Amino acid sequence: MRLIGFIIVCICGGLLLYGTSEFPDWGDPASPASTHLSNDYIEKAFDQTQVPNLVTAVLADYRGFDTMFETAVVFCAGLACLLLLRDYSRKKERFYRHVPTGVILQVKHPEKKLPVGTEFEYMDKDWVPSDLIIKNVCRILIPFIQIYALYVVAHGDFSPGGGFQGGVIFGSSLILLAISYNLRTLVQRVKEKALGILCALGVLVYVGIGALCMPLGGNFLDYSALTRIIPWDPHHIRAYGMLGVEIGVGIAVMAVMVVIYINIASEGRHDEGL
Amino acid sequence: MDILVIIFILFGLLFFIGGAVGIIRMPDFYSRLHPAGKLDTLGIMAVVIGLAIYNLHHFDTLSVLLSIKMILIVFFVFLSSPTATHSIVDAGMRAGLRHWTQKQRKE
Repeated sequence: MRLIGFIIVCICGGLLLYGTSEFPDWGDPASPASTHLSNDYIEKAFDQTQVPNLVTAVLADYRGFDTMFETAVVFCAGLACLLLLRDYSRKKERFYRHVPTGVILQVKHPEKKLPVGTEFEYMDKDWVPSDLIIKNVCRILIPFIQIYALYVVAHGDFSPGGGFQGGVIFGSSLILLAISYNLRTLVQRVKEKALGILCALGVLVYVGIGALCMPLGGNFLDYSALTRIIPWDPHHIRAYGMLGVEIGVGIAVMAVMVVIYINIASEGRHDEGL
Repeated sequence: MDILVIIFILFGLLFFIGGAVGIIRMPDFYSRLHPAGKLDTLGIMAVVIGLAIYNLHHFDTLSVLLSIKMILIVFFVFLSSPTATHSIVDAGMRAGLRHWTQKQRKE
């Protein structure tokens, strides 16, 4: 059986390699993409879309469908991570610390709980004393990282950037919070339900903007139809449409990053880890 | 003006060379982090300040803004690089890695 699998893999790999030999060389000026498509983008993209960044124009406008389904793929990845890893069963043993004395208590019965408040606090199993320097520096840095992420999202149509990158930066700022404090702090501040809703909301914003163009008289994702709603500045209407789409992508990517991190770090329990 | 820029960049490069040599030549984990955390931070500060001054040749609002952004990069590297080094050393200590002593060299 293994031999058959090995032969099938070899044949498929060989066919794929054989197929790549027909591809044009990298940067070949005679390839179909370079002879028609790229020239067309370079010549007409700015006149048609009024977006200075060609990459964003291609990504969010000419290939709007492609990017929409990419966002859907990211959403599916987050959903799969949540469905496969999420573990609602209670942990067998938990640790608490009595705050005034510093005594650590281990509770072995899964049903019994201690009142967490000023007297007792949760403690992770592989707890390390929190480091003042790391905590404070991360506390200073996180707001700046988040502002930078918003800048990258909002500035995507003028300079390199966009929804995917901005979303990743924003998500990483939340992950930094989990690393520098602990996972419980992050889960308390960003609720699991909110993350799930944000995942879906991002895709919904994208598809919603696309669908909104249809009753206004355009095709799906044809941003020029939005002039009926946004009457001012009709030249830059495509840039506004792209901005809305990028915001949707950013929200989805941010939420999915955090969902994946929390689920993998805590083995689906959302209580402790890393 | 240009001389100042050259002095700054050469000063930074000197520190970068020191850092690179230190990372290769130092005997163990902790002492290798020392040049990585310190010299690179000072090196990047000097080089980027040099570049920021060079950028002010055409003195207008845009170039001043760009220079301020460059200085901001230095500021954030200044904050985060020593902290990262600190946390790596911290992790090494917790994992129980012994520091290098003169004795180990003789063995």
